[in-house]
Amino acid sequence: MLALALSAASAQPSVPRGLDGKPDFSGIWQSLSGADYGLEPHLATLDGPPGAGIVEGKAIPYQPQALQRRAKNFAARAAADPRNKCYTLGTPRGLYSNEPFQIFQRPRDLTVLFDFGHPVRTIHTNATEHPDGHIDFWLGDSRGHWEGDTLVVDVTDFNGETWLDRAGNFNSDELHLVEHWSFVDRNTIRYRATFNDPKVYTRPWTLEVLLYRRLEPNVQIIENYCATLEYDKYYPFPSSQ
Amino acid sequence: MRSHSLIIFLLAAAPIVALAQGANGWRETSFVPTPRGEWKGALLPDGQPDVSGHWSNTIGNHNNLTDPQGPLGADDEAASRGNGRRQQKPRSERAPSRVTDPPDGQVPFQPWARAKQEEFLKYLNNPIKPEYVEPFARCAPGGPTKSFEWHGYEIRQFPGYVVFLFDSGNRVIHLDGKPHLPENLKLWNGDSRGHWEGNTLVVDTTNNNSKARLGRSGEFVSENAMIAEQFIFSTNGDPGGDRFTYEATYTDPTVLTRPFTITIPNRRVTDKTPADDWNNLTFLAKHEGSGPTTIEAEPAIEAYERVCVEGNGNHGQVVVETK
Repeated sequence: MLALALSAASAQPSVPRGLDGKPDFSGIWQSLSGADYGLEPHLATLDGPPGAGIVEGKAIPYQPQALQRRAKNFAARAAADPRNKCYTLGTPRGLYSNEPFQIFQRPRDLTVLFDFGHPVRTIHTNATEHPDGHIDFWLGDSRGHWEGDTLVVDVTDFNGETWLDRAGNFNSDELHLVEHWSFVDRNTIRYRATFNDPKVYTRPWTLEVLLYRRLEPNVQIIENYCATLEYDKYYPFPSSQ
Repeated sequence: MRSHSLIIFLLAAAPIVALAQGANGWRETSFVPTPRGEWKGALLPDGQPDVSGHWSNTIGNHNNLTDPQGPLGADDEAASRGNGRRQQKPRSERAPSRVTDPPDGQVPFQPWARAKQEEFLKYLNNPIKPEYVEPFARCAPGGPTKSFEWHGYEIRQFPGYVVFLFDSGNRVIHLDGKPHLPENLKLWNGDSRGHWEGNTLVVDTTNNNSKARLGRSGEFVSENAMIAEQFIFSTNGDPGGDRFTYEATYTDPTVLTRPFTITIPNRRVTDKTPADDWNNLTFLAKHEGSGPTTIEAEPAIEAYERVCVEGNGNHGQVVVETK
């Protein structure tokens, strides 16, 4: 099902390629990192298992008042985590969450469709630019271009309403994210993201995580509009009783 | 932060009477269904007819399923005022019922189901219980069919898939023949399998939770419903732009006395289509010159991020606070 146009000059072991010769990330992917429980190294809590973290340098370089806000987020996380209100996980949390997502790729864009939540992320790869001004998007505005076999994506226009994990890590609406997507092998993507946010961090920082292709036969994304669960009970199928 | 549960916005109805007899062809009062046949237009590399892009219904409004340009219930005050945007034309001059079969244009409900539909409509403009608020107004997906009765949307195609992106959710049509999801998984937008026959995308949609109504007038089916859909695309050369006819036949012996069919006409949105707040919510992508990019033959148009968060925007004309 993947386009397998053979490229004569591939620097990498054979990976799927589109008809434009670029690596083709189409497929269903999922992180096994547990990073959604906490980006930094953490022991087990009632929320989830321990993890060695995916942040380069271990700790996210918060400004002092931002560190206080993170502590408040953590303490209030059961109610305050936007995920628990079934808001979209946002960018990049949706990529390393515990649920799969699907990438549909064509030359002009990548469509990232998440199991969790409504929104669909579009990464434009047609040499277009961010719209003028600042827009408050849940998923940011993504413009990508290829550097060899690496997709480099520039993301701006965040609304600052999402968290980066369940532990209360966060960004503001001034986040500027730069992502690097590349194949390790045909079933593994290396995803790196560098965060620049002058309202929150003292310097740029980077996380890296692997995304694994879901290989089960007939695997598919299953709609998970959990935002409706709280009021689902008001909409029973009107029965004949 | 958004207040999640206290404030409900009811979605605004589209203007019922527009521009003179559907100027620009976006507010039609009649349409000619596209005939099934060969596809004579462009093909995608995987052999699918190329129907990618932005589209919209030409008879908008998700209010009244059987009288799409008519009032919503006997107590539709805006309609009865008879002025401004909701001025009513006579029934004969309004678009026909979206129900094209049976010929009387009504959903063939069993009597108990008709009573339930009328109850919902009676309280729609005055929802005294939470269940009288249409879930769509609370950002739930529109359901497989009603999603086409609302704003303009986008079609993206890939080997093995046709993907529909609505402001209210999305639908993925699987073309590779994989089996449906297990029967007990009931979804707002169902689970769809399809294939192309000439100019027609033939789809069967199961696993419906059927919580989304078919219109704000309250028509519904059960979670036993099976939906057989056809997306019949005209080929290039249609004056006024590409069109397609959406037909959905609903089978549900627990609610209906016989199957019925909904038909919705649609037209392609291009960079030449005037922007409005309903059919065309796209804009020109920022690109040097805003002409065609190196990849697309036409100027690139985009839509804003499609997100609905309860209470996040000016979605309507009624605000109801619930305790």
